Amino acid sequence: MPLGAAVDFAHEVVPILKKHCVECHGGEKSKGGFSMNTRALVLEADVLEPGHPDVSLLIEQLTAEDPDERMPPPGKKKAPLNTAEIDVLKRWIAADVPWEEGFTFAKDRYEPPLKPRKVKLPAGPAGANPIDLIVAEHFKGEKLDFPVPADDSTFLRRATIDLTGLPPSPGFAAKISQGKPLNRDKAVDRLLADKQGYAEHWMTFWNDLLRNDYGGTGFITGGRKQVTSWLYPALLNNKPFDEFVRELVAPTKESRGFIDGITWRGEVNASQTTQIQFSQNVSQVFLGINMKCASCHDSFIDRWTLREAYGLAAIYSETPLELERCDKPTGEMAKASWLFPELGQIDASKPRDERLKQLADLMTHPENGRMQRTIVNRLWAQMMGRGIVRPVDAMNTEPWSEDLLDLLANHLVSSGYDLKAVLRLIATSRIYQSRADVREDESEAYVFRGPVRKRMTAEQFLDTIRAVTGVWPKADGDAFKEKGASGGQLNKVMKAHDLKKWDDRPIRTAFGKRDSLQAALGRPNRDQVVTSRPDSVTTLEAINLANGPELAGMIRAGAEKLGNAVDPKNLVQSVFRASLSREPATEEMEISLSLLSAKPSTEDIEDFLWSVFMLPEFHYIN
Amino acid sequence: MNPDSWYNEALPEQTRRKFLRALGAGTAATFLGGAPRSMAADRKSKNPEATADSCILLWMAGGMAAPETFDPKAYMPYEVGTPVEKIISTFPAIDTAVDNIKICKGLENIAGVMDRATLIRSHFQQDLGSILHSRHQYHWHTGYVPPQTVAAPHIGAWMAKVLGGRNEVMPPFINIGQRLEGVGESEELKAFTTGGFFGSEFGSMNLPFPELASQAVKPPGGMSPDRFAKRYKTLEGLLKNSPKSDELSDYHQESMLRSLDNAHRLLGSKEREAFDLSKEKKEVFDEYNTGKFGQGCLLARRLVENGARFVEVTTEYVPFLNWDTHENGHTTADRMHKQIDRPIARLIKDLEERGMLDRTLVIIASEFSRDMLIEGIPGSTARDQSRAKTDVLKEMKHYGLHRHFTGGSSVVMFGGGTKKGFLYGSTADERPCLAVDNPVSIEDLHATIFTAMGISPKTEFDIESRPFYATKDGKGKSVSDVFA
Repeated sequence: MPLGAAVDFAHEVVPILKKHCVECHGGEKSKGGFSMNTRALVLEADVLEPGHPDVSLLIEQLTAEDPDERMPPPGKKKAPLNTAEIDVLKRWIAADVPWEEGFTFAKDRYEPPLKPRKVKLPAGPAGANPIDLIVAEHFKGEKLDFPVPADDSTFLRRATIDLTGLPPSPGFAAKISQGKPLNRDKAVDRLLADKQGYAEHWMTFWNDLLRNDYGGTGFITGGRKQVTSWLYPALLNNKPFDEFVRELVAPTKESRGFIDGITWRGEVNASQTTQIQFSQNVSQVFLGINMKCASCHDSFIDRWTLREAYGLAAIYSETPLELERCDKPTGEMAKASWLFPELGQIDASKPRDERLKQLADLMTHPENGRMQRTIVNRLWAQMMGRGIVRPVDAMNTEPWSEDLLDLLANHLVSSGYDLKAVLRLIATSRIYQSRADVREDESEAYVFRGPVRKRMTAEQFLDTIRAVTGVWPKADGDAFKEKGASGGQLNKVMKAHDLKKWDDRPIRTAFGKRDSLQAALGRPNRDQVVTSRPDSVTTLEAINLANGPELAGMIRAGAEKLGNAVDPKNLVQSVFRASLSREPATEEMEISLSLLSAKPSTEDIEDFLWSVFMLPEFHYIN
Repeated sequence: MNPDSWYNEALPEQTRRKFLRALGAGTAATFLGGAPRSMAADRKSKNPEATADSCILLWMAGGMAAPETFDPKAYMPYEVGTPVEKIISTFPAIDTAVDNIKICKGLENIAGVMDRATLIRSHFQQDLGSILHSRHQYHWHTGYVPPQTVAAPHIGAWMAKVLGGRNEVMPPFINIGQRLEGVGESEELKAFTTGGFFGSEFGSMNLPFPELASQAVKPPGGMSPDRFAKRYKTLEGLLKNSPKSDELSDYHQESMLRSLDNAHRLLGSKEREAFDLSKEKKEVFDEYNTGKFGQGCLLARRLVENGARFVEVTTEYVPFLNWDTHENGHTTADRMHKQIDRPIARLIKDLEERGMLDRTLVIIASEFSRDMLIEGIPGSTARDQSRAKTDVLKEMKHYGLHRHFTGGSSVVMFGGGTKKGFLYGSTADERPCLAVDNPVSIEDLHATIFTAMGISPKTEFDIESRPFYATKDGKGKSVSDVFA
């Protein structure tokens, strides 16, 4: 057929693309960074010039003589396109690449609801935790048994480390071992009432999310502001989450570090300007939306577009913002707008501070279920080891239980955006208090079976060791200064507690500098927003744990302190209680005592402590 | 102690069988039998056949001036009153073992082994506006311009991830000579000295002081072998008798045990001696020992001999020190020649003598070159960072190349399947000394290195649902001319 002949996109072109191309260059795949999902993406990729089939790379690649150069590639075991097919594509290009309006090769995806949704609870015993009703229904559907309860000591260690980042005091473990049953609801209330313990622990989570306590690039040139003076009191006083979000999005002087992002030195690509960082971080942290793709080109993996990414950026930008596609200016100017116009829209004509306030209102709009679901899912993941939606930053993924997610979101709202109320609901559920699921393989298809073991964060791990040994670090030189690597963090804590000077309260790891041991254990440098920590122990970490000077120093100081106190048997017992919240078994006691002679040396005690600290039972929150 | 004792004794039999099954026969055989561990890539493009098993990167941190090392131009001796625009090279050229290759005076030993080298004179870097060492080093080491929305892995981490270790004890990615604490821009250095999104399993083992390297793999300070063994025995005993042993088959816990065992095995292995420079003959040590860098070269040789996959040895980046010459360029380059000349030549000869050079790719490279007048490339808006600004030479500190030049630099490759005595590309003889002939970008240079190691430059992993490639967008093209 002559080149000028009409081409039928739907009936001629689509079948060819489907047969040969979109397996790798469509749907969620974009091999070589090339996706054919939409006409815009095809044109953007510069593989063809509309109207000129003779100079099109696409045709050239499809007809290459050398099979290594030809598409589809040899590994695909697909036949090269025949002449008739090539002819169709040539006509398609010659006709300026016609495309059917709205057509895409992108797959139908789960589209999460935006607005809150009422949950109809399954029937169950009166007074049951609603989480358990939903979970029980899930188990029924999956033909699984409800997991057996964890014993009191396992529960207490889990809840205490999850909520305060520290292990339970040995006294509790002793009481439990004497057979005194634990009132679990009361225990949870007591932990949540420990305002300081709660705030110090959750600093780590929020520092990661907000890129706070950051010492890297841009910091030395004032390109980064910390938010500790705002964040710590907010956690200490359990600031309602809607206010919390409002104050981060439309910030005060103290909380503005989050939206200001990091001003990098030198030139950066268009997807890393402070405006685009704003777009990426606000959407990731509060909405579980990955805007990193869309801030360079229309996303292949979800529905967000370049225009929407820039719309969000333009709310923050003080100057007119031109859209750049893959780092190249497009000539189109961004208009301040936000992602869910069904809840309202930004008035782009207003000054920046007004726009930010509007965004804060939209973000915390009572009908913005996306924001509510995103935070409760993060809390669930922190407590249960795995999100109802996973990954926690891809809230467009189908949850394993919509009802459970919505139940938690509704609870957040009905409690007055009280994060502790959500944590309480989770921690007092039977399912949180169940034995952890033993998973033998990471890759098996995930079906919720109960809590998943969590590896302690660097901060939890080191704080737990310090709680066991009773040796806390001295404040480093910068801690009380306004500048420096750990710049003034403790000043902010003192101020929040109205202290004139630091009393003898422990200095938690989160307030110290990230040293090489902490880096090895997964404390991030916060160049990027971090929403989950590594969950496995690597060989290099293991070497560090076996012989690194930082840990060895901590253990030595601990051994020296513990050494003067007690006889070996008591020592073993109290270390087991403090570390694992349980009594040593008879064999464990024997093995430990065979290392610790009647009068153990400091070295013996060090080795004993090390052996306990290296147990997976210690490293993991079981 | 039997290195396998952990698995043979410590775990209850049922648990052990369970997790061997979970791991699959291949993996189980690996850690029981001691076969080399190999981590398969998520998704692989067709990989080229490797011409090298190991790679040693000799990193000239801080910007090594090509006209002062491997790309001599018209020599201008020091003379008060000389206009600075006349100065390109401050060292005369000398002959090398290859007729058509001349390099700078001061590198006589390396000149003697140039017949084993491929010299690329047309490498160039992207101008990042503000010329910052750490950013350009990030770009060179990861192939990506910082900042990135995800943590980009170091090329050593790519090799660790895709190829794995060469044996079961030696960490695949080792980084020698760079302090990451207590030096300027240390956070920026850490940002690329990393496994990035591959996770810390593939990150570098850092040995900032070669002479102290043995400590990194020794039992902790002052611990006798007996005590070390006893301590481990206690751990094993506690594990074996734990009332919670039924939980050990959980994959996280199991992988932790495997890591502890790997660490223990290394700390008790014969390969550990590779880290100990005091085990080297004195005359050999002395020949290498021009300082930390020279010792690092010796350490690299020992590590590669014992199974390391990727080793980087750096002259160390410290702002305004070493190759980072913002003044006194000539004097400093002279000092740096002395540091690198003897150990590099000896390293090449040692590898050759041991029959390892053919399968070991050694690379000398730097984040950019230097020039007397130009910051970045001609027309760049980058700030002039010379600390010895002058129109004519008045004192010695003015003499040398004090500005960061990204338009053309030299890379030397030895072994690993590259041609011998081969010159590739060139820069202009007159300022600006831009790469004029066969320019090689960082992406293409990485593609060349990856190709030698048997990794397709298009190798990709899905990160946050996006493809991420060994070379940017999978587009790096190997410079096939450099391969024999």
